[in-house]
Amino acid sequence: MTQRTSSLAAAFTMLSVMLAPPAFAQRDSAIAEARAAGLVGEQADGYLGFVTGAQISADLRGRVEQNNMRRRAAYTERAASANANVAEIAVAVACEVFQDPHRLRVGERYRDEAGQWRQHTATQAVAVPAVCN
Amino acid sequence: MMGRILALGLGAAVLATGCIPVQIQAPDRPIEINLNVNIRQEVIVRLERDAEELLQQNQDLF
Repeated sequence: MTQRTSSLAAAFTMLSVMLAPPAFAQRDSAIAEARAAGLVGEQADGYLGFVTGAQISADLRGRVEQNNMRRRAAYTERAASANANVAEIAVAVACEVFQDPHRLRVGERYRDEAGQWRQHTATQAVAVPAVCN
Repeated sequence: MMGRILALGLGAAVLATGCIPVQIQAPDRPIEINLNVNIRQEVIVRLERDAEELLQQNQDLF
């Protein structure tokens, strides 16, 4: 009986460890490299996008899409508690990202609210969506 | 007695003016209400703290 209970407990512990999100998840280095290379970038809608004309490998596409799905899950969860809709939360996050030089770094490309891809350069500040101000 | 009559008269006057038909003319051009942007800006401002927290909790995604 006790053996059974303890093995059950062990199974549950294993399961919870497997299901729990990693406490200190690392940024995907492949995505970071692609951002630096100008293949993908942040968009004014709160998601990552593929820069027009860029050659995107299947691996990179998958990673970006996975990242966006996880963003969407985080937005959806937050939207419920903040009494807002998913798109509003997503844009609110984009406002923070666009104004943070650690998150939208010099050299990276980004898609503005008009859908145009631009580059954040040392001399050209990020064009923050009008709705953020 | 006098006061009561006065009050009645006042009441009648109020009722009468309340019943004067007011003519409202429909505008010849549709009224443009552009609150869309303002409402959204307001929402974004309200969600600033939520956005910051979300970023803190999902550092690996951004």
